[in-house]
Amino acid sequence: MSTESPSSGHTGVARGELFFALGSLALAIVVLWQTMEIPVSPLYAKVGPTVVPMITSVGLLLLSGALLYSACRGGWQPEDERTTKPDGVALLWVLAGLVLNILTIGPLGFTIASILLFTCVARAFGSRNMMRDAAIGAVFALVAYLGFAKALNINIGAGLVENTIESVFFAKTGR
Amino acid sequence: MIDRRSLMLGAAAFGAAPMLMSGTAEAQAIDMLKIFCPAAPGGGWDQTSRTIEQVLRTTNLVKGVQVTNVPGAGGAVGLPQFLNNWKGQGNSLMVAGMVMVGSLLANKSPLRISQTIPVAGLTGEFEAIVVPAESKFKTLKDFADALKADPSKVPVAGGSAGGTDHILLGMIAKELGVSPAKASYVAFAGGGPALAALLGNQVAAGISGYGEFSEQVKAGKLRVLAISADKRQDGIDAPTMKEAGINLELFNWRGVFAPPGVSAADLAAMTDLMKKMTASKEWSDACKQRDWTQTTMFGDDYKKFVDNENTRIEAILKDLGLA
Amino acid sequence: MEGFHSLLNGFAIALTPINLMWCLVGTTLGTAIGVLPGLGPALTIALLLPITFKVEPTAAFILFAGIYYGAMYGGSTTSILLNTPGESASIVTSMEGNKMARNGRAGAALATAAIGSFVAGTLGTLGLAFLAPIVVDWALKFGPADYFSLMLLAFVTVSAVLGSSAIRGLAALFFGIWLGLIGIDLQTGQARFTFGLQELLDGINVIVVAVGLFAVGETFYMASRAHTGEDEITPLKGSLMMTKTEWKRSIGPWLRGTLFGFPIGAMPAGGAEIPTFLSYYTERKLSKYPEEFGTVGAIEGVAGPEAANNASAAGVLVPMLTLGLPTSATSAIMLSAFQSYGINPGPLLLTSQANLVWGLIASLFIGNVMLLVLNLPLIGLWVKMLKIPAPQLYAGILVFATIGTYGITQSPIDLVMLYLIGGVGYFMRRYDFPTAPVIIGMILGPLAEQNFRQAMTISAGDWTVFFTRPLSLTILILAALALMGPKLYSLATRKTA
Repeated sequence: MSTESPSSGHTGVARGELFFALGSLALAIVVLWQTMEIPVSPLYAKVGPTVVPMITSVGLLLLSGALLYSACRGGWQPEDERTTKPDGVALLWVLAGLVLNILTIGPLGFTIASILLFTCVARAFGSRNMMRDAAIGAVFALVAYLGFAKALNINIGAGLVENTIESVFFAKTGR
Repeated sequence: MIDRRSLMLGAAAFGAAPMLMSGTAEAQAIDMLKIFCPAAPGGGWDQTSRTIEQVLRTTNLVKGVQVTNVPGAGGAVGLPQFLNNWKGQGNSLMVAGMVMVGSLLANKSPLRISQTIPVAGLTGEFEAIVVPAESKFKTLKDFADALKADPSKVPVAGGSAGGTDHILLGMIAKELGVSPAKASYVAFAGGGPALAALLGNQVAAGISGYGEFSEQVKAGKLRVLAISADKRQDGIDAPTMKEAGINLELFNWRGVFAPPGVSAADLAAMTDLMKKMTASKEWSDACKQRDWTQTTMFGDDYKKFVDNENTRIEAILKDLGLA
Repeated sequence: MEGFHSLLNGFAIALTPINLMWCLVGTTLGTAIGVLPGLGPALTIALLLPITFKVEPTAAFILFAGIYYGAMYGGSTTSILLNTPGESASIVTSMEGNKMARNGRAGAALATAAIGSFVAGTLGTLGLAFLAPIVVDWALKFGPADYFSLMLLAFVTVSAVLGSSAIRGLAALFFGIWLGLIGIDLQTGQARFTFGLQELLDGINVIVVAVGLFAVGETFYMASRAHTGEDEITPLKGSLMMTKTEWKRSIGPWLRGTLFGFPIGAMPAGGAEIPTFLSYYTERKLSKYPEEFGTVGAIEGVAGPEAANNASAAGVLVPMLTLGLPTSATSAIMLSAFQSYGINPGPLLLTSQANLVWGLIASLFIGNVMLLVLNLPLIGLWVKMLKIPAPQLYAGILVFATIGTYGITQSPIDLVMLYLIGGVGYFMRRYDFPTAPVIIGMILGPLAEQNFRQAMTISAGDWTVFFTRPLSLTILILAALALMGPKLYSLATRKTA
C-alpha cells in the first residue's frame, strides 16, 4: 500500500472523510453479513459460492479500516474540495428531478417524466426560463420516444402524451 | 458480461403478446393476440413467441400479434407481472416452459406456473450427452461406468447450475445410484463457451440441447453418446437413454399459458386458435427448421403434464440442494 | 491464394447496389444505437430478427454485421463527449477521451477513435479472412485455468487506474467486485447479495453502473459547484483534426490495440473489455507523455483501447464463422438468424455457404470504409454539442441516460439503481476516489471467479493446474513481470547508478 501524503498540514479528525469511511465500513459489514447468508450448497464444487464474497468482504473491511485511520489523521480530501462548499440548493434540484422522474415514468409515461427531469436539472444549473427548458425537454423526449417506437418497435413507456400522438399521427388498426 | 447473463436467461423464456382490445372475444376469432414473453429477445421463449406470431400472421388466423418481453431470472421476474397486470385479459398468452418451472423453484419464488391456466403444449427440445471425438468414452455405458467409479473425475459441461442440462445430469446420476450433488458439473454461461470447452478437450463430456451440438457432430468433432428423447431420431446416430440402459426421458418443453381470471369462452377461443395453429403446415415447417420436436397437448392433458414435471423437477432440484 | 480469390468473389456479391444499401443502413443504425447507452448491437439485432422472414440471407447478414461494427464506432462518441459510455467496451475510452474533450481536444479524440477503429477493423477483418483457421485452433487451447491467469494479468493493469492513493483505488475496485457478484451464482445456482429482490437475480447491468457513476455522478458534482464557475468545458482549442504529433502518437497504439483485440476477441471467453484494459495499461506504460494520463487526457489512451475494441469485434466473428461457436451475445443472436434461414452454422459453413460468408467478410471491409466516411465529417457537428450551455447539456445527458436504462427493461428498479449509483459517484468524486476501478472490478471480478472455479472443478481440486498448463504459466509470468518489472527495473538502475 502506498502511504497517504499528508494533506497540507491539516490534522485532527476530518468530518467528511469520517462519514465516508464509516459508510464504507457499514457497507463492508453488510457484505460480510450477506456472505454468511449465502446458503452452503451441497453441490460438488471444489470452490464454493462464498469464497470470493468472503475475500471481497474482508478486503472491504481492511480498506475501510485504513480509510477510518486516515480520516482520523486529518483526511485526504484535496484542498480545493475541502474549501468549496457544495451548492445544496442545486443538488436538491437535481435530486428532485430524479425522484419526480422515477415517480412519474410509470403512471404518466416517458415524455412527461423526461420533461420534469430536464426542467429540474436545467434549473439546478441556474437556468431561469423553465418554460423554455420544458419545451426543449419535450422535443428531446419525443424524438427519442418516436425513434425507439418506430425504428425498433420498442415501447419505452407510453403514457398520455405518447398515446395521443399515436392516435393522431399513427392511427392504424390494432395500435 | 451483461450479455452473458441475458444470454443465459434468454435461453429460457418467452412471452406473449399484448393488445389493446381486452375483454371482447366470445369464442369468435381473436383479432389481436398479445403474447407475454418473460425473457429477453433472442432466446428460446422469444423465438417461440416470434414463430407463433409469424405463423398466425401468414395463416391469417389473427389480424395482429404483439409481443411484450419482460426478461429476468428465467421468467421469475415476468411471471408476477403476468399474474397481476394481465389478469382476465382473454386475448393474451404467456410463452413459458420447463426452464420457468425450475427457475421458480430454484429462486424460492412463492409463485408457481400452475397459477396460470395451461392452454397448450407446443414444442420440446431433447438433450444430448456428447464427448469430444478423441474421448475414450464410446458409449453411454463407458460414461456411466466412469461416473459410478469416481464422479469427480468426470467433469461435465453445460449451462447454468439448476438449468435443464444440470437437471439431466442430476437425473442420470440418480439413476446410476450416484448422489446427484456429487456429480462434477461445470457451468458455463451459455452454449458457446460450453461448446468451446468441449472442442478444446477441457471437460470429459457435455450436456445441452441437441441443436447446440448438431453441426459439430456432423463435422465429426463431437460424438453423441445418447439423447434424452422418447424415440430414435432421424439423422442422429445415437441411442435414446432408455435404449442405452438409463431409464430417462427429458424434453426442454415450451408451451402457452393464459392469465388467471379469463372467461371460459375466451379460453375456448384461445385453445381453438392454438389447435388451428399447431395443425398448420406452416407451424410444422417452422418447427422442423428449428429442430423443435412438436409436443402438442391441450387443456387437461397439458395441465397434468405440467404438474407432473413440477413434481419431478422439484425432486431433483432438492437432491441438488437447489429447492 | 484461394482465400484471396474467394474474397474477390465476396466483393462482387457485397458491391451490388442492394447490398451496399443494406450495409449503409446497418452502419448508420449501428452508429446510432452505439451512441445510446444500454442499447447494444445484440438487442438491436434481436429486435430486427423478423427481417429474416423477408430478405435473403446475404442481405440480412450484411445488415447485421454493419450494425455490429457501427455500434463499436458509435459507442466511443458519447464516451468522449459526455462521459456516458454507450457499451461496455467503450468504458475505457471515456477515461482519457472525456478528459481530452474537456480540454478542448474533443475533435482529436473523436478522430483518433474513428481512424483507430477503421485501422483495427480493417486489420481485424483481414485477420478474419486469412488467419481464421489458425487463430481459432489456438483460441480453443484456452481452458478455464488459462482464462483465470489472463484475468489476473488484466487485474494487474488496474494499477494503472488506481489514482493517487492505492487504498482508495483498491476500495473502489473491491466495491466493483462486490457489485459484480450480485445475482445468481452460475456454478451453484445460489442467489448472492440479492436482498430478496427478484430483479437482482440476474445481476446489475454494468452499463447502468458506468452511466450512473460517470454521467449521473458527474451531473451531481457539476451542479454542486456550478456557482463557482470552475470546471467549464472548453469546446474547442486548436484545430478540429489531429495534429502531426497526435498522428504520430496514435499509430503505435492503434497497431498494438489491434494485436490485443483480435486474438482475445477470437477466444471463446475473451470478450471486448479485457483487451481494452490491457491496451490502456500498455499505452500508459509506454507513453512519452505519462503526465497527460488522467489529467488533460492522453491521446494514446483513446487510440489504443478504441482499436482494441474494434479488432475484438472482428475476432468474435472468427469462431462464429469457422466453428459456429457463438462467443458473445451478438454472435449468438446472429447464429439464431442463420437458423431461421435453415442454415446451420458450424465447421462446414465456410464450404457449404461460401458466398454468404465471403460476401459478409467483404461487406465488413466496405462497412469500415463507410463508417469512416460517415464519422469523420460528423466530428465537427459532435464537437458543437459541447457548446450547448451547461443547464441544457446536463439536463440532456440525464434524460439520455434514462432512455438507455429505462427503454430496454422498463423497470423503475433499474432507474432507482442508476440514480443511487449516481449518488455514490458524486461522493466518490467529492472525496477523490477513482471511479474506473469500480467498473473494472465489476467486469473482471466475476469472470475471474467463474473461471477459477471452473478450473478447480475440472481439476478435481488440484491447485497446480494454474502452473502446469503452459499457457496459464506463461500468462502468470507475464503478470508477475508487469507487476514487479517496473520496481525491479528501478531498483536495478538505482544500484548501478
